[in-house]
Amino acid sequence: MDTAPLAVELKEIWKTFPGVVANAGTELRVKQGTVHAVLGENGAGKSTLMNVLAGVYRPEQGHVCLFGKRKVFNNPADALASGVGMVHQEFRLVPTFTVAENVVLGAANRLLNRVKVEQQVAELAARFSLAVDPKRHVWQLSMGERQRVEILKALWRDAEILILDEPTAVLTPKEADELGEVIQRMAQDGRSIIFISHKLHEVKQYCQEATVLRGGKTVANALGVSNLAANELAELMVGEPTQAANRPEPVKVGERLLSIDKLCTLDNRKLQALDSVSLSLSSGEIVGIAGISGNGQRELADTIAGLRGASSGVIKLFGKEITNATPGQRFKWGLSYIPEDRVGVGLAPQLNVTDNAILRSYRKHTRGPLIAKDRARAFCRAIVDRFKVKTGTLNQPIAGLSGGNLQRLLVGRELTSEPSVILASQPTRGLDIQGVKAIQELLINARNNGAGILMISEDLDELLAISDRIIVMHSGRIVAQQEGATANRGAIGLAMAGEAT
Amino acid sequence: MNRQLQLHKPILVRRENLLKGGQPLAFFVGLCAALLLGSFILLAAGDDPLEVYQRMLSASFGDLEAFSVTLNRAIPLALAGLAVALAATMGLWNIGAEGQILFGATTAAGIAQIAADWPAPLLIGAMIVGGAIGGAVWALGPATAKAHIGVNEIITTLMLNEIAIRLIRYLINGPWKDPEGFGFVQAPALPEQSSLPTLFERTHFGLLIAAVVLVGLGVMLSRSAWGYELRVAGSSGTTATYAGISLKRKVLTVLVLSGALAGLAGGIELTGNATRLTETVSNGYGYAGIIVAALALMRPSGVAAVAVLFGAVQVGGQSIKAIGVSDAVSTVLQALILFGVIAAGILIVYRIKFAELGNQ
Repeated sequence: MDTAPLAVELKEIWKTFPGVVANAGTELRVKQGTVHAVLGENGAGKSTLMNVLAGVYRPEQGHVCLFGKRKVFNNPADALASGVGMVHQEFRLVPTFTVAENVVLGAANRLLNRVKVEQQVAELAARFSLAVDPKRHVWQLSMGERQRVEILKALWRDAEILILDEPTAVLTPKEADELGEVIQRMAQDGRSIIFISHKLHEVKQYCQEATVLRGGKTVANALGVSNLAANELAELMVGEPTQAANRPEPVKVGERLLSIDKLCTLDNRKLQALDSVSLSLSSGEIVGIAGISGNGQRELADTIAGLRGASSGVIKLFGKEITNATPGQRFKWGLSYIPEDRVGVGLAPQLNVTDNAILRSYRKHTRGPLIAKDRARAFCRAIVDRFKVKTGTLNQPIAGLSGGNLQRLLVGRELTSEPSVILASQPTRGLDIQGVKAIQELLINARNNGAGILMISEDLDELLAISDRIIVMHSGRIVAQQEGATANRGAIGLAMAGEAT
Repeated sequence: MNRQLQLHKPILVRRENLLKGGQPLAFFVGLCAALLLGSFILLAAGDDPLEVYQRMLSASFGDLEAFSVTLNRAIPLALAGLAVALAATMGLWNIGAEGQILFGATTAAGIAQIAADWPAPLLIGAMIVGGAIGGAVWALGPATAKAHIGVNEIITTLMLNEIAIRLIRYLINGPWKDPEGFGFVQAPALPEQSSLPTLFERTHFGLLIAAVVLVGLGVMLSRSAWGYELRVAGSSGTTATYAGISLKRKVLTVLVLSGALAGLAGGIELTGNATRLTETVSNGYGYAGIIVAALALMRPSGVAAVAVLFGAVQVGGQSIKAIGVSDAVSTVLQALILFGVIAAGILIVYRIKFAELGNQ
């Protein structure tokens, strides 16, 4: 029995945001000198819990203990003073400063001797094998190097407890391996590391213990990782189905509408996002794409819609190649797109409801060079009525609409053209139960009328409820495929975590 | 527990809708504040504030003749302001209206040399259209670079201003040096018939041209399919691409058209107010146009009114030098008024709220 006090103990943490309970009595216990994984799906409450530990949020109930002593943090500086450092997903660095300047920024009150500071930073970096040159400017660094600067910042401030929030999400595989070694070295130095990840192989590789969160609750507290199988972790993460799925009746599957062959593309950082993805979609079916966010789903949707170029591979619509067609052409040929970012991609933020309703069809509502206002309004009115969009006047900026009504407007507009293929990315995310149901019914109806629907969602329950087929993506590849009616939840969860065989 | 005191601190909160009628109100509030502050400066400089302000008012709005001078000033200000506001609908900054005015005027002057014997309507028409084309040409480089390889248009348009000035210097020192200038370095005088006819009092025909362009462009922006595409692209570039609108083409046309508007101002200035091409023909209107556009909240519909008021401030500020106010004080006063109005303009977009400094 180990009697040393725990490095971190979070007891019964409650934290709510308007409309969401992020942490509902969440617990966490981390031993000193270990690497501790915190696992969970998107929205499980991991980030909120870590922000509580790092002093960004104050919990409504529960408390934080470090080395057996109860602490109250009013801000991140309090937490840092108590030895808790956090490396956020978005780096907080000044691009025009050097590495050394960023490391000491805010931690020094007096004028500094540049040479001395650079030397000290270099020594610290060498101690933990963090390969980064203190003299270089941050804007010149790769993402992996920037992350090392963030870690150095925490070490410089003597952080005994280091939180890494999905640190490998921005890294190349090689950089991730290097990070793994750095983490081990820091643990051997007696520091405690909290490692947030969805990737089970990393957890198995780097961590001694794991805590699993689901829906804001701790479902597994400080499990030893070494004697656990990956599928046990995956099952804990994904959980049991919340309700008996009431699946829609299948309809006759017709002609092939969309086919994708060996599609590859790069993400915004010019790293490979899609790795030879092949799939097909036929009339009368809903194909669900499952996966933890950031595994290429967004890039897949954007590439099919034409917003992102393909680096290789072929996309065909009705047997005709559209790989290099513009988004406008693809729409004209029958491909509708409900993008993940509703406002900013599917809807123009500063324009009013009518202007957004005619986005796809404004060329048809013209009289000479001018837009025929009456016809545009009638078109908008038809969408608003048919899809039950709650809005004041049709001239009001869309900023005044709720998320659910924005989505009804967007989905309504995309369905009004009676498309053959509907590409729907996270179509129900952030909506209330009624809104989710309404959007799902619209998609099922479109399918029943012969459309083919490719639906990307992070909500596995949703995909299991309405998909005719489910495809699982991991690291830009399709790693599993199942029939919707007979899908095995556990196997999908495992595939989502990259543990498919 | 260390409960914090309930502190209140004024913060600016963005309004959901712009304050209705806010621009005239802001103009008035800012003007009053500036005049109040300015009166201290005038007193310190030994001038009588009341007399000075009265003089400014009568010189710009006092009678029809005074107002016609103000209108003349407003013409290039409105066109330059429109040029900047048009680019801004797409989120672009045309800082090069000054250079485009200069090159527009240069083009018009070139046409006047080639076609010196043309009849008045033809020559004036050719010079004004030439001015617009010249402005468009001057903007073409930055527009192409921005559309195709994303070169920052702020820098390219700004740098071309300097080049336009030096081009004129070269021309009037060399190829276009006036042979009848008695050794003075200047461009030859424009043909007599190239002078724009007068509309009323001192206001020339350019007022009509500017008005037609303002109204026409305003209608195109707010009502046409082309204007709709610009508004979508200005709101979100990704949404525009999604809707099948070519961003490249939009960037190119908007910047070139913006240049043409400024060049048009150059052509009108040359035919309306100048006797020969000089490097001061633009008179800072290109830069003032940025302020005009900003005061009009980048909306073409507001540009005309702001241009007239701005013109009045300039004319009024000039006039008080005649009663002994020093050049420096006059400039400070004009700057104060602009500062006041721009600062008060914040209240159209934001409202002041007293926030509780609570715990996060």
